Amino acid sequence: MHIKKSMKMADVIQMNYMLIPVIHRFGIELGFGDKTVDQVCKENEVDLNFFLQLVNAYHDQDYFPKEELQSIPVRDIVAYLKMTHASYLNNTVTDIEQKIKSLELEGSEDKKYIALIRNFFEGYKSELTEHIMREEDVVFPYVLAVDEIIKSEKFTDKNKKVFESFSIVEYEEEHDDIEEKLMDLRTIMIKYVAPPANTNLYHSIIQDLFRLEEDLNYHSRIEDKVLIPKIILMEKSIKNLF
Amino acid sequence: MPRISILIAESTCLIRKGLGAVSQKLENVEILQSVSNKMELCDIVNRLKPDILIVNPNMLDSDCEDLKKPFIKANKMSLVLISDDKSIKDKYHADAFIHHKDNQSKIIDVLEEIVNKKAENKRTNKSNETLSSREQNILKHIALGLTNKEIADQLFISIHTVVTHRKNITQKLGIKSVSGLTVYAILNNLITMDEVK
Repeated sequence: MHIKKSMKMADVIQMNYMLIPVIHRFGIELGFGDKTVDQVCKENEVDLNFFLQLVNAYHDQDYFPKEELQSIPVRDIVAYLKMTHASYLNNTVTDIEQKIKSLELEGSEDKKYIALIRNFFEGYKSELTEHIMREEDVVFPYVLAVDEIIKSEKFTDKNKKVFESFSIVEYEEEHDDIEEKLMDLRTIMIKYVAPPANTNLYHSIIQDLFRLEEDLNYHSRIEDKVLIPKIILMEKSIKNLF
Repeated sequence: MPRISILIAESTCLIRKGLGAVSQKLENVEILQSVSNKMELCDIVNRLKPDILIVNPNMLDSDCEDLKKPFIKANKMSLVLISDDKSIKDKYHADAFIHHKDNQSKIIDVLEEIVNKKAENKRTNKSNETLSSREQNILKHIALGLTNKEIADQLFISIHTVVTHRKNITQKLGIKSVSGLTVYAILNNLITMDEVK
């Protein structure tokens, strides 16, 4: 079932709780009573079309409205991706790290193993941070410059420099699999470690890892299937323009 | 028991969804995705490398190399065609057919046979999930942070052999990254924590 603008926002969340962090990234908070999706979006000044396409793409794996997503302004996509980045680093990843730390603090004979897991996760965190920084410092400014050139149909000194310094193909090639380590971690926790005394916390960490992985998959789907093809097209038309 | 992955490619929505629902009833299988678009199929097959590809022949007649016989053979994919036309069997080297008039139990029978065969193969391929002593030794070196070249030099084997061992280790353990392998090595006392820099 697809999410439509006339549906109640509360029903949308009842249908799929994984959308809670997604709407949060749009600045929408819970407690919307009987308001519809349309109303909530208006109140929060969120673009309705963009919101619907994203939550639907998130909600249903098979739903990939390439054409509709192509119509969404580059600026909005970048803004959304940035919000997701921030929420990974500030919330999701930090939460998991905290949980692992408190597991370690409970101290038992398993302490040594938990330290290993913590080290591993910290390694992953710095890899993810590096990946995100590269996107924010290099890729997104480039993407916005391309968008600006297309819109104004001319080069300025500034955006010309950015345009010539990079190409989206480079990004596509280096867009490596940041989920690999995450998958390794949960494999290790499921297959090779005997759980510590606090099994509840241990299980909740594994569940968090699954959720983070799912979220990241979706995130890279937007990057690979929407942003990159869009920019490749724009690069071509810039080359034809000048 | 290893899970068998299935990819369904069919442009008719009714058939695609229906087949997906029927295949769900099989044990030990995982439906990776269903594809409706011929243009995307090539890319998805190459990326996901399913064990079984259930496909309508009209999705195959593109110029995509990844759907040609050699590719399918090299990746040990089983091909199931959704078609009533037996004459195309040789053209694509299909392992089985699903006919439009087949009832549910017939379809399940056909698929089950292939799934079981696949599962059997997978089991014998990885009959011993534990690492051989040679592999343990290589794993130890990987965990210590050595490069393939360094490992090859120390153990007097070729780089190619090291790479093959690494591939097998990763496949057996389900761990890809070096840091993941290091954690495994420590957990299993192949190296101590102090040895890792």
